[in-house]
Amino acid sequence: MKKQSKEKKYMPEISQKEVQELRKTITTTSQQIITENIKKMKKTDPNRPKAMKYFDEIADFTKREKEIRAAKQEGKKVIGYMCLFAPIELILAADAIPVRVNSGWYDASKLGDRIVPVEVCPMVRSTIGAKMIALSPYLELSDTLISVLTCDGMTKLGEILSDFKPVWTMTIPRVKDTEQSLRLWSEEIKTIKGQIEELTGNKIRGKQLKSAIELTQKATKAFRRLQELRKGPPVIMGRDAMLVNQTYMWDDIERWTEKTEALCDELEERVSQKNWACPPDTPRVMLTGTPMIWPDNWKVPTLVEEANPQGILVADELCSSERLLFDPVGVDEWSMSDMLNAIAERYLMASTCPCFTSEDGNEDRINWLLNKIEEWDIQGVIYYVIRGCMLYAMEYIRVKKVMDSKGVPVYYLDTEYTREDVGQMKTRIEAFLEMLSARIDL
Amino acid sequence: MMELIGEMLKLTVLAGLTLAGILVILIWKKGLATKVTYLRFLVQVVSMVAVFYLFTYPVWQLIILIVIFILPLLLGRFFCGWICPFALIMDAITLIRKTVKVRYRLLPDKLNKFLHNFRYVLFLVFLIIPFLLFLFDPPSSFDTSFLLAMLLSGPFEPLRILVGPLIPLIVPWEGPLAISGVYFSYPYVQEVILYSEVVFSEFIVNIIAWIFVGLTFVGSFFLRRVWCRFCPTGASIAVLNRFKGFKWAPMLHIDKDEEKCTKCGICKRVCPVQVTEVYEQKAGKITTSMCTLCTRCVEMCPYQDCLKVKMGGKTVFRSRNWLEPSTIE
Amino acid sequence: MITAGLDLGTQSVKAVVIENGKVVSRSKAFSGFDPEKAAEKALDKALKDANLSMSDVGHITATGSGMDMATNSNSTVSMMGADAKAGIHLFPNARTIIDVGAEEARAVKCDENGIMMDFVVNERCAAGAGAFIEAMARALEVELEDMGPLSLKAERASSINASCVIFGESDVVSLIHKQESKPEIARAIFEAMADRVSSMVHRLGVNPDVVLVGGVARDIGFVTSLKRKLGVDILIPEYPEYVGAFGAALVAAKRLKKVQEK
Repeated sequence: MKKQSKEKKYMPEISQKEVQELRKTITTTSQQIITENIKKMKKTDPNRPKAMKYFDEIADFTKREKEIRAAKQEGKKVIGYMCLFAPIELILAADAIPVRVNSGWYDASKLGDRIVPVEVCPMVRSTIGAKMIALSPYLELSDTLISVLTCDGMTKLGEILSDFKPVWTMTIPRVKDTEQSLRLWSEEIKTIKGQIEELTGNKIRGKQLKSAIELTQKATKAFRRLQELRKGPPVIMGRDAMLVNQTYMWDDIERWTEKTEALCDELEERVSQKNWACPPDTPRVMLTGTPMIWPDNWKVPTLVEEANPQGILVADELCSSERLLFDPVGVDEWSMSDMLNAIAERYLMASTCPCFTSEDGNEDRINWLLNKIEEWDIQGVIYYVIRGCMLYAMEYIRVKKVMDSKGVPVYYLDTEYTREDVGQMKTRIEAFLEMLSARIDL
Repeated sequence: MMELIGEMLKLTVLAGLTLAGILVILIWKKGLATKVTYLRFLVQVVSMVAVFYLFTYPVWQLIILIVIFILPLLLGRFFCGWICPFALIMDAITLIRKTVKVRYRLLPDKLNKFLHNFRYVLFLVFLIIPFLLFLFDPPSSFDTSFLLAMLLSGPFEPLRILVGPLIPLIVPWEGPLAISGVYFSYPYVQEVILYSEVVFSEFIVNIIAWIFVGLTFVGSFFLRRVWCRFCPTGASIAVLNRFKGFKWAPMLHIDKDEEKCTKCGICKRVCPVQVTEVYEQKAGKITTSMCTLCTRCVEMCPYQDCLKVKMGGKTVFRSRNWLEPSTIE
Repeated sequence: MITAGLDLGTQSVKAVVIENGKVVSRSKAFSGFDPEKAAEKALDKALKDANLSMSDVGHITATGSGMDMATNSNSTVSMMGADAKAGIHLFPNARTIIDVGAEEARAVKCDENGIMMDFVVNERCAAGAGAFIEAMARALEVELEDMGPLSLKAERASSINASCVIFGESDVVSLIHKQESKPEIARAIFEAMADRVSSMVHRLGVNPDVVLVGGVARDIGFVTSLKRKLGVDILIPEYPEYVGAFGAALVAAKRLKKVQEK
């Protein structure tokens, strides 16, 4: 591998002063948005579960930042990743800390505009902007980044960020169910394993890998339990559940599992007491599309759940929320080769990302959506796309055709990393929810 | 007669209960992902013990044949997955491999499919060989009753091939290997000896027998259920079900729900005989004559109600959220 | 049962008072910087014209982009919902309702009960809304109400080059220099606008009968171009700019009835 040259390939020279100023303003805005979001969530559901308090704390990045910093002092390594395909089990087995470093700050995307055109995915621009002013604590604390080459934006993002951090690329094949694709991906997993071992200095042995897999299996169990509880009448507002799902991306996984189980216990109690978070006849909406990262990107869920008429998000197909943990690693024999096989297959084959293509037109995603609609009793689907994402935008017609044949209304909502179109989004979402309410009334 | 049956039943039950006791403890401590596997192990052991006792009475042999070949018309290859003693031997070797943490090998898909079809050829070959061997020593007359007698109990006993795998390791007759009065045998070994005796001397025949045993041992060490992939008995069982007119018959089958399947591939990976139809078929009844109904795929599928084992329309076992880690391995 | 509907648009606020489904009065006031006050003014005038007072009104529903600012209203409804309701009331066979306002355009697909089935909104392309005609009229130095009849005189439309027609003003100047006639330029402007609106409607599917509402429906030039682009006949109500407020008033009547039934 070529040595990284000292000269920055993309990043311009910015004065320290400017960096400090921007960082201060944006961090303050970010804190405000976080507090405001949480306040709004509390307001919508006055009986918000007490167990949510822990997640509110993690949502404010400072607490976790302190913990990771302390861990780094003790010599632990932090590995950041930008896409769901990074094998978390391998990172955990090597006693390193995995964190997702996608950026959800709107203001940072304007900074990214200095380097890449505005047509590029806003999340990519925002991550670049966040790196320019050292805004994201997780991005700063990462010792290395895993960049999975899923879409054009992600491919180049890794390259741009390599100006600051070592970036390990993982090539993912665009067709996932052929033998050669699995071979390629298995090789990538093996290579990454070697790289992780080299960075951390810990060899990944069978025993550690087994306990790492069991850890994520437990997390998946807690996660599924939470989603199952959203099936019936609403016990938890969509934003709260989404926050719980999101915090998995940064939090200590064992503790997260524990707290989520506690939340589920509380929710089960609410079910028995028939203590609903909002009226049971509220239109049930599902979100699908590009990921929504905390804090700024809570725009659309907030609008849905605070609209008049109110809607509730009961499920979603977002890779920042329900796609994180839905599939477990299924190990047949606990030998090293089978565990690695299981990990490779779980990350490659269970994914519903539209970056894959297949003859049956990403039928996995369609089946997943249809299953959700049936079991979670979904009345309407909001197809959310951030402007610039070709893959999700192109699959819209496919999803719409299927939904039309099933009689489920779909609304295409495309937006940007900006607060300026809140008024327009509100009009559309309210009209959509009105439509759903009218259908329910019939 | 009745007291003999009573004696036999008592001993079988006793043996079964002891084993059951051990296995229940193991199952209780194990996770959901392996419970059915252990149940199946138990059933296999019980049936091996039962076969031992059944073989002591010749009349039972014919009944066994009927049971093996008639019931599967309705139950499919249930025999292969749950009753066959040879399968138990192969699974036990697999267990040894797992304990020493050796990786299993996979046959390339094309080869696997070829062997799958090759079974029928093998089956025919075994039926024909005795007649070919007659050419060495032709009989005086060739009428049908003579042929039938030859087929069923003649010197080359071709139908015994079909009962080949049904050998509990300790046999109640004069088996090929005797150690301090106890006779040992091995699936197919007696047939191998029978055929090679025609051409080779006794010394070589013994070597051939041991080579055969060694080969199957090594084979099933690296390949799971190696014999099942070209077993002639397996080919004959439920062979009728391959024909369009009889496809409705197997009441016991695996059923798949298209929408719940995420194509995660776990079912394909854990299948001991490398069946790919469960993964590839979109929905509905999965009918493939390679499947031994061991239900490992249903056990390991992590999505609720995606794969089901149905008996005549009713679900007897369904895939569920097994996410509980195992504590021992 | 007397109810009222308020449509707080970006340029003007419209108020409609209805009694048992029939329009009793209508009134308009300019939004300016204080839409809330304009809404009050419009409603007061409408009530006065009908010889009614505030206490006679059972329920007021507001709609339009400024609907949250109407403090005197009891409830709100989306523009799409109001359009669908009014459209079906005026034309029972209406299935596609296109509403072109001053600064945005929208289209609604509905079923025979006036229930919205799908909708599409365009607030981004300004060339698909009324303010575009105003700007072009200024560039051509023609009165706004003369634009329509002027365009009908043309046999063909000039070609407007810019991909974003907002640059049309400079385009218009250069076209005049090229000796293109004003009718032809006017027609080109309407063609461009109809093009934007019709491609928006096509996303929804053109289901007859098609109804056009909103202030721009009064403009014969635009209506002719739109008919040409969509390839179907278009129905236009008598007071197209009041349809939104009328729809809101109908929704108010429905809600009042529901409350009374409880």
